[in-house]
Amino acid sequence: MTDLLYWLQGAVPETPAPKVEMPPWGETKVVGKPVPRVDAYERVSGSAVYPLDFALPDMLHAAILRSPHAHAVVKSIDTSAAEKMPGVRAVITGKTPGTDIPWYRSRGKSYSKLFDDRVRHEGDEVAAVAAETRAQAYDALKAIRVTYEELPFVLDPQKALEAGAPAIHEGTNRYGDPSKYERGDVAAGFAAADAVVEGTYSTACEIHAPMEVHGSVVKWDGNRLTVWDTTQGVFVVQQQVAAALKLPLANVRVIGHYMGGGFGSKLEAGKYTVIAALLAKMTARPVKLFLSREEVFLNAGNRPANTMKVKIGAKKDGTLTAIEFLSMGSGGAYPNGADTSFLAADLYTCPNVKTLDENVAINAGRARAMRAPGFPQGAWALEQAMDELAKKLGMDPVELRLKNVPKVSQRRGNQPYTSTGLAECLRDGAKEFGWAEAKKKAKGDGAVKRGVGVASGLWGYGGGPPATVVVKLFADGSVNLNSGAADIGTGTKTIMAQVVAEELGVPLDRIQIEHADTGTTQYTGPSGGSKTVPSDMPAVRAAAVEVREKLLKAAAEEMKLPVDDLALSNGEVVSKQDPSKKLLVTAVPGLQRQQVLVGVGTRGPNVEGKVISMFAAHFAEVEVNTKTGEVTVTRLLAAQDSARVMNRLTFECQVQGGLVMGLGLGRTEERVLDRNTGKMCNVNWHDYKIPTALDVPAEQKVHSVDLVDTECNTAGAKGVGEPATIPTAAAIANAVHDAVGIRVHDSPVTPPRLVALLAGRGKKG
Amino acid sequence: MLPSFRYVRPRTVAEAVKALSEPGARAHAGGTDLVGCLRDEVFDAKAVVSLSGLAELKGISATKDRGLRLGALTTLAEIARHAEIAKGWPALAQGAAAAASPQLRNQGTLGGNLCQRPRCWYFRGDFACARKGGEPCYAVEGENTYHAIFGGSGCYIVHPSDTASPLVALQATARIAGPKGTRSVPVEKLFVLPAVDHTRETVLEPGEVITEILLPPPLAGGKGLYKKVRARGAWDFALGGVALALSMKDGKVWSARVVLSGVAPIPWRVPEVEKVLAGRALDAKTAAEAAEAAVKGAEPMSGNDYKIPLVKGAVEEALLSLA
Repeated sequence: MTDLLYWLQGAVPETPAPKVEMPPWGETKVVGKPVPRVDAYERVSGSAVYPLDFALPDMLHAAILRSPHAHAVVKSIDTSAAEKMPGVRAVITGKTPGTDIPWYRSRGKSYSKLFDDRVRHEGDEVAAVAAETRAQAYDALKAIRVTYEELPFVLDPQKALEAGAPAIHEGTNRYGDPSKYERGDVAAGFAAADAVVEGTYSTACEIHAPMEVHGSVVKWDGNRLTVWDTTQGVFVVQQQVAAALKLPLANVRVIGHYMGGGFGSKLEAGKYTVIAALLAKMTARPVKLFLSREEVFLNAGNRPANTMKVKIGAKKDGTLTAIEFLSMGSGGAYPNGADTSFLAADLYTCPNVKTLDENVAINAGRARAMRAPGFPQGAWALEQAMDELAKKLGMDPVELRLKNVPKVSQRRGNQPYTSTGLAECLRDGAKEFGWAEAKKKAKGDGAVKRGVGVASGLWGYGGGPPATVVVKLFADGSVNLNSGAADIGTGTKTIMAQVVAEELGVPLDRIQIEHADTGTTQYTGPSGGSKTVPSDMPAVRAAAVEVREKLLKAAAEEMKLPVDDLALSNGEVVSKQDPSKKLLVTAVPGLQRQQVLVGVGTRGPNVEGKVISMFAAHFAEVEVNTKTGEVTVTRLLAAQDSARVMNRLTFECQVQGGLVMGLGLGRTEERVLDRNTGKMCNVNWHDYKIPTALDVPAEQKVHSVDLVDTECNTAGAKGVGEPATIPTAAAIANAVHDAVGIRVHDSPVTPPRLVALLAGRGKKG
Repeated sequence: MLPSFRYVRPRTVAEAVKALSEPGARAHAGGTDLVGCLRDEVFDAKAVVSLSGLAELKGISATKDRGLRLGALTTLAEIARHAEIAKGWPALAQGAAAAASPQLRNQGTLGGNLCQRPRCWYFRGDFACARKGGEPCYAVEGENTYHAIFGGSGCYIVHPSDTASPLVALQATARIAGPKGTRSVPVEKLFVLPAVDHTRETVLEPGEVITEILLPPPLAGGKGLYKKVRARGAWDFALGGVALALSMKDGKVWSARVVLSGVAPIPWRVPEVEKVLAGRALDAKTAAEAAEAAVKGAEPMSGNDYKIPLVKGAVEEALLSLA
């Protein structure tokens, strides 16, 4: 699965460059404007059909039996009683023919099967049922008798490496060798430092908790399978389902129009889709299989907990001399990324850097990519350590960061960035936030103390190929836009339509959008990693430009003018030299003869010798009650460098959401596992605390530094999803420190943790 | 998944009592707790007895002695926005306002809030805990951040209600209807410590239902409040809290009732604090001494000793805010 996240590993497949010339946009008419979403009405009126809403005639409902134990061997399964339950049409286990399907692959190795006889975390799949109703399916699960032999389990990555620790997989509990990076001479760097800070920081495990639970509806027509899936990428699901069922890609159609959030947890096919397909095959009926909320908590991914040891050295003037960053995390019971060190090696100029990332198996639900995988954790540690350093040096934290803004990406062979807005984010953000004034303001003389904090971050991946998009101009001048990209709630459809409108001068309501369907749209990567805009919009633009060129060429023949002299404007082809010479688009004979003009756009390769990164600086103001440990975040400001903002409204929405998510990491969210059973304690939305409206500050501002980047791609936009959430938690923790002088090393900053520290009862930094 | 159950909606209290006397019957007031418990299979129900048809369980009215009668079906939202309650019994109004979320307060009732089941994650989760008739209290050796520092014994839940502590502080009385007729129980005596019976939270017998809560008249020179500390701004239970009902005379505390929430299996009255306050002016020194007295005898576990400074802080702040 991790192999599919190729964009996180820097290796992107090459696709041919687009056939058309696309100079950077000058002044734009539609792109960049605060255009309301093209599907806003459908989304708010309830007429949008999400996969969870989807129903087919004669459809069965399926449910999955999961291990109640953290680690066990399944000795036997007796399904006889379940099979006789009312409404039950099929029961499958690992013994059922056709279920011997390898699962959780990494580095060419499978770590489990669809139904493994060894369960490695609470929630691991054991059996499944299809029945006439959902209640009947769940009732039948209870009638399945499973004999488990419980095994010792381990929840702490450090302990998982100790001699005698329970072996979760064959051989070592490590997922591969620790990944190491080094440049310069770290020892010499620390020796040359005037000030050194050192500390251990940890982040709690977070659950994605999207509004729409994970699941699919599946239907067979002969040996062809159609899947309605709640997913961030239909093509990823198509590939994985086809591989699991040994079908050609052509026999698996995946449709993912609307979906209720994923945050990285829906970048892959779930076992549920394949289980549903097997049940559907056995029963010759369509099958709907959606997880319950509890199952999502246990078994649909998480942001792994990390422990990070940071050491930073600097000269008196703030020049960094050395950074050491040692990270320990766990992909969970099955492999997934848990590295956090990238920021430490790339965010600031520093000649001597050493990082180490360890990733260890534990008996808990497997991690999945979660909005900026590894980066908010890394920022939590690095940016608090930078705050400590500023304090030690007597420097303003904004100034310390500005002193070390990098010109090149040191982690990636000192290649220059196509654009770097870190300095602008820090400077403009500080100005917009009123940083200098806020720093001067008194902390308060009562029990409640006020403080401000800053943290910055970058996200290192600016999208890339492959993406293929088709734009069709109909004879009446209206347009069909065909793209495989999923709109995961970020406004992708709207932005694609804006790009088409920009190039073809068509009003947005004259554009039909056809998307996220492997049967009718073209391949693109999943929507994740802040890469949808930078990957897909250039392909949309190329397709639209090709249509325009075909149209102008056809018009030029009719108007007997050179193509270069023609432009599109308000449904007309107009001569630039003599605007009185014009022709309605609908009157272009070439279009009327063919009834359609088709443009095919591809995403060309990224610029060579440069890297694309987005930058951010977040500012927080908090009030801390020193008596009770209560924290109120009173203000947040996000200054973002995403280069071009494609749509002010969707951009602001993304950043606001990123801030709230970052606030969750910093203030409220924490998976709790029972140390004695390995079972999750807070498997619900009351005990697992997502921030509420009352936890989010009334003043939450979004500022874009609006850099012009003509090299990142032909849309000039770098993406925004991840960098909007990377520094938030660290900024809040730094503000808490500013208010009360206490460094909270472990996320989240809750009243229990903080009041204990205030009373001298907790771990002090 | 909800279990399969019979649903009855009696028209009179007598009918309701009869229906509730059947084995496996569960009372349904606002349902905000009941439905969750049934869905999560915390307990089963053979019959769900809706109280919504019982007109006599509704409404707020004055009593002859200038007190207040609150029907058990009065919603938390009604209490939170009731001007007279805010004026005469502020701790209750604030307790009701501090509970849950606006949606839940619109639906949740006062009687239900008193009778809700514990929020302990072992009780609610897939654990055969002591309160569900299983063996150990998982919290003792487990994850006990949100558990009791007072009054635990074999079970370490904290009482989840934000109205119970104010009602104990205000010396409210619960009227209860049951198979043997009606009876009155001071709210202070309504709850059961685990040492007495760790499988139940109230003294209600099968078939019994709270019909109304009676508030005595406001105290002369009365002051009060409810302070709740929580991990999240809404939809969260108390990490620790305090209800105060003070009577002031000549700038000094004449009498005080101080009841903690979120720290014990029942609303936890702290007579030591009341003694400290009696006859004293509400100043910093009094507040600090009272805070110290509030946590005397606390027995924290591995993960909840933060409750000691938290409760001290809450008591101190609460007292000073009334000064």
